[in-house]
Amino acid sequence: MPRLAAVIIGAGHSGLAMSRALAGRGIDHLVLERGQAGNSWRTERWDSLRLLTPNWMNGLPGLPYAGGERDAYMSVPELVGNFETCVAANRTPLRTETRVLAVTAGAGYRVQTDQGLLTCDSLFVATGACSLPNVPGFADQLPAHIEQVTPINYRRPAGIGPGAVLVVGASASGLQIARELAMAGRNVILAVSNHLRLPRAYRGADILAWMCNAGVFDTPYDEVDDIERVRRTPSLPLMGSEKRETLDLNVLQDLGVEIVGRLAAVSEGKALFSGSLSNLCALADLKMNRLLDAIDLWIDQRGLQVPDAERLGPTRLPDDPRLSLDLNGIGTVIWATGYRPDHGWLQLPVFDRKGRIRHEGGVVGDGLYVMGLPYLRNRHSTHIAGATADAEALSGHLAERLANRHAA
Amino acid sequence: MNMQTKIQAVQNGVNTEALMGARAALTETPAAGQFTWRAECDWINGTHSRSTVQGFFGLGAEQSHTKAFTMEADHPPQFAAADNGATPVEFVLSALASCLTAGVAAVAQHRGVQLRSVKAKVEGDMDIAGILGIDADVRNGFSAIRVSFDIDADAPKEEIAAIVAQSQKRSAVFDIITNPGNVKVSVA
Repeated sequence: MPRLAAVIIGAGHSGLAMSRALAGRGIDHLVLERGQAGNSWRTERWDSLRLLTPNWMNGLPGLPYAGGERDAYMSVPELVGNFETCVAANRTPLRTETRVLAVTAGAGYRVQTDQGLLTCDSLFVATGACSLPNVPGFADQLPAHIEQVTPINYRRPAGIGPGAVLVVGASASGLQIARELAMAGRNVILAVSNHLRLPRAYRGADILAWMCNAGVFDTPYDEVDDIERVRRTPSLPLMGSEKRETLDLNVLQDLGVEIVGRLAAVSEGKALFSGSLSNLCALADLKMNRLLDAIDLWIDQRGLQVPDAERLGPTRLPDDPRLSLDLNGIGTVIWATGYRPDHGWLQLPVFDRKGRIRHEGGVVGDGLYVMGLPYLRNRHSTHIAGATADAEALSGHLAERLANRHAA
Repeated sequence: MNMQTKIQAVQNGVNTEALMGARAALTETPAAGQFTWRAECDWINGTHSRSTVQGFFGLGAEQSHTKAFTMEADHPPQFAAADNGATPVEFVLSALASCLTAGVAAVAQHRGVQLRSVKAKVEGDMDIAGILGIDADVRNGFSAIRVSFDIDADAPKEEIAAIVAQSQKRSAVFDIITNPGNVKVSVA
């Protein structure tokens, strides 16, 4: 196989966006995918999941949403179907069922796959931000009878064995899974760490419509105060449902879910929870109201005729949130404690002391690029439709690099 | 008034510039951020003891306060003691209040909010059936701790609430009290 100008690893929305951008610039490339396009959507999502972004935000590269339900939230099978259409429409040079085993340096990059070796000048890592669940180190201290599940392998309430369920984490995944388990009649305890809170709709529109219009997602990565902090901001606590419902700790408590503090340790058959729950809830309420104040101001400045503001009440808390839990009564622990990328196959000195790939807005250096990470270039970098702008910027960087090389 | 002039006009006595400088420096050299704090305690008589703090380790070397500080602890007459000082649990409440109050000053300074007065009232509930060994189901320590801040500052209520919330988020003593931790005690 001749040496390629570029290889893209991963055929999710980021990889497909980059392929389209490179094709547009006439840069010869190949997309490698361990499964089929949109693989993690096909294999690592629970049954009931709908996208938490409305459909107008869910267009794939070169395939803006054209259906009749712009404000609805598509199901995963619908998105997977769109991936198929996208690959066909873009004639993506895609090699499926090809798993990358290792990437090493050597006159560009050597990409070892389970289907053979490829070499290339430039490499785009587009394998996603959510490949591995962030399970805390003390998980192995849980009693042996407890089944441990993550949102990557959770499918449906019926798949969860008997006994109460401790869901750890109150961002989008944890809230949604706790909700459907409670609705299935399960006894659910939810351990709550740093989290955010948002109404699904506000003043007659989807909260994401206001956030997009008011530009809260647009600040470039090199203009934010503290990029470390924004990159570790929890996911937006939203749910896509037909009725456009808000999902927060109050909703869950109305369904009978018990709210406890952050899971701090497992000791002697007990789970120990932090006593900081009320402050974390106060912070989430304050941040929500600060955002809604900014949206109100934006609406006022434009004199928009929209319904009056209706704010959610403060997060309700038990008087004495539980500090410990006897794990004998728990059948399953679900670790909804976030995700991290899986870049273990990238055998290059490009990681920081916490094992995260170092990059400037996606540019790692020497023709290596990464995509789809939280706040890669701005908040849209993790939105499906946000990949197109990032691909445009990074393919532009590569085109300039190639032009300089030819000039030299 | 833009943010810069607002911050310059605010004077809460916190050198946030130095703190932000330290934050940037320690991000580059994480080993220097490893600190060990120490206290020594001598028994005097009965429940009366005197603790001294002076040296600590940090920034990669042995460090020292400008002088030694001592704190005497005892119990009140209601516990048949001589009342030579605050009780240890009152030190814990004071430490929490001091830590959160320092945090309020620092966060307010960073956010350009002038403080005029800050008062924290702390209460800790305790059923002494625990420490007296009357009831094994009662814990020794506090069953609940309440902190109430009275803050006079140039800021709306929500902004003050956000400063107090951020102070808790970054407080060492708040973390120590709200989370479990391992303690090893040995005899020389």
